[in-house]
Amino acid sequence: MALDAVFRDQWGRVLATLVGILGDLELAEDAAAEAFAIAAERWPRDGEPTNPTGWLVTTARNRAIDQLRRQQVLAAKTKLLARDLEAGPAGPEALMDDTAAIPDERLELVFACCHPALALEAQVALTLRTLGGLSTEEIALAFLLPFDTMSKRLTRAKHKIRDAGIPFAVPPDHQLPDRLAAVLAVVYLIFNQGWGGGRVDLAAEAIRLGRALADLMPDESEVLALLVLMLLHDARKAARLRDGQVVPLDDQDRGRWDMRQIDEGRALLRRAMARGRTGPYLVQAAIADLHLYQPRDWRQIAALYGTLARQTGSPIVEMNRAVAVAEIDGPEAGLAILDRLDLDHYRYFHSTRAELLRRAGRDGEAHHAYRRALDLAQTEPEQRFLADRVAETAPSV
Amino acid sequence: MQYALLAYDPPEDTDRASRPIPDGLVDLLDGPKVSGWARLHAAGSATTLRNDSSGILLTDGPFIDSKEYLAGLILVEADNLDGALAAAEEMLREARCGTAIEVRPILDGRFRGA
Repeated sequence: MALDAVFRDQWGRVLATLVGILGDLELAEDAAAEAFAIAAERWPRDGEPTNPTGWLVTTARNRAIDQLRRQQVLAAKTKLLARDLEAGPAGPEALMDDTAAIPDERLELVFACCHPALALEAQVALTLRTLGGLSTEEIALAFLLPFDTMSKRLTRAKHKIRDAGIPFAVPPDHQLPDRLAAVLAVVYLIFNQGWGGGRVDLAAEAIRLGRALADLMPDESEVLALLVLMLLHDARKAARLRDGQVVPLDDQDRGRWDMRQIDEGRALLRRAMARGRTGPYLVQAAIADLHLYQPRDWRQIAALYGTLARQTGSPIVEMNRAVAVAEIDGPEAGLAILDRLDLDHYRYFHSTRAELLRRAGRDGEAHHAYRRALDLAQTEPEQRFLADRVAETAPSV
Repeated sequence: MQYALLAYDPPEDTDRASRPIPDGLVDLLDGPKVSGWARLHAAGSATTLRNDSSGILLTDGPFIDSKEYLAGLILVEADNLDGALAAAEEMLREARCGTAIEVRPILDGRFRGA
């Protein structure tokens, strides 16, 4: 395996273990970076060690110990470390040879990084840096922000974790659902940012994070479901755009869908469904799956959007249900649902409504709705598409 | 009478935790007039909870003062931020709607018994 790939796979695991030992994210990150730099220099020359994780953890830990010794605050920093030091060199050597002895503390790390006392943008950046192993430059690039801004954001978040005493721990049972929802929201936000087409493939990063979480929490149906949702959406990536135009699902070239990824998603979906609990990500994953069949089962899709609307209370979900209902009972039935929604600020509300009005033969109203959507459109492909519709529905003079 | 003296600092770039309290100030803090003091971590370490009509809202950062006034000071002992936030939330549920509590870690301090 290429060294880069090994590093990316090891980073989160090594960093989490170091935070567990050192109790300080910034110190752990510096030490991990040093260890990875040493590895990059030595491994190609001397060969990869039999236990790369152990080697990296041990090397980083020794570096951190050196640094703490220099600072002479060793005892104050961590009791655990002090105990290891007393144990002498046998400790680190033993660690190097035995992967099983290294606890996997990535979950503790991700729950600290997605703690609600941190701003969402800080949670996102920290998760990409720590568990995802992206560099500060890459994260800045992905979010189209100057390096300094991203660097400050990360430093501030790490200092807050340290100074405010944000726990490096998996939350207790009574807090777990809320805290897990926060972690999943961060990953899904990263995935959705990935559709924006930045220079770093954030969708792929989010899927990597989703896989790590599914690996760490194989019994949480919502964790599996989020991974399914991302896999199924991502599988259609190559077919979504043609000549810079967004291609609607029904017009997409199915030959360009990644069927292997869809099969993987479906197998995971069955596993998630077998867990019994039906959370919002599971419902969304099931809907994403139903959308891939031809013809689409609009009744089932409408029913699931209904479930999701009750779970989330989201008017956007209700808007999607209206589209499904229009397919079953005709455009007027869909419009009846839309007219109850307060989504005047939302551009897709107007394009959705316009489309149903057009199908209902109400061209005059459709024309106005398309114009409203065009006013709110943000991307060029959208503007081109809507300008065409506005022209089509223009009243003949 | 007892009084609370509230200290405000200008923003700074250096690490507050590694900067000692000036000697002259240490002498005054140790003096007989002072019944207790706490030095707080910088504002960046703060988390703010508010109770409004929709429930308890948690945000990253210090309380931004508009028309509210500083009404009190509570010192709590907790294992970590989650413990402190839980204590603050418990109190907020009993407080008037519109009350906010900023939770700020204490860097060091001295407290005399009541």
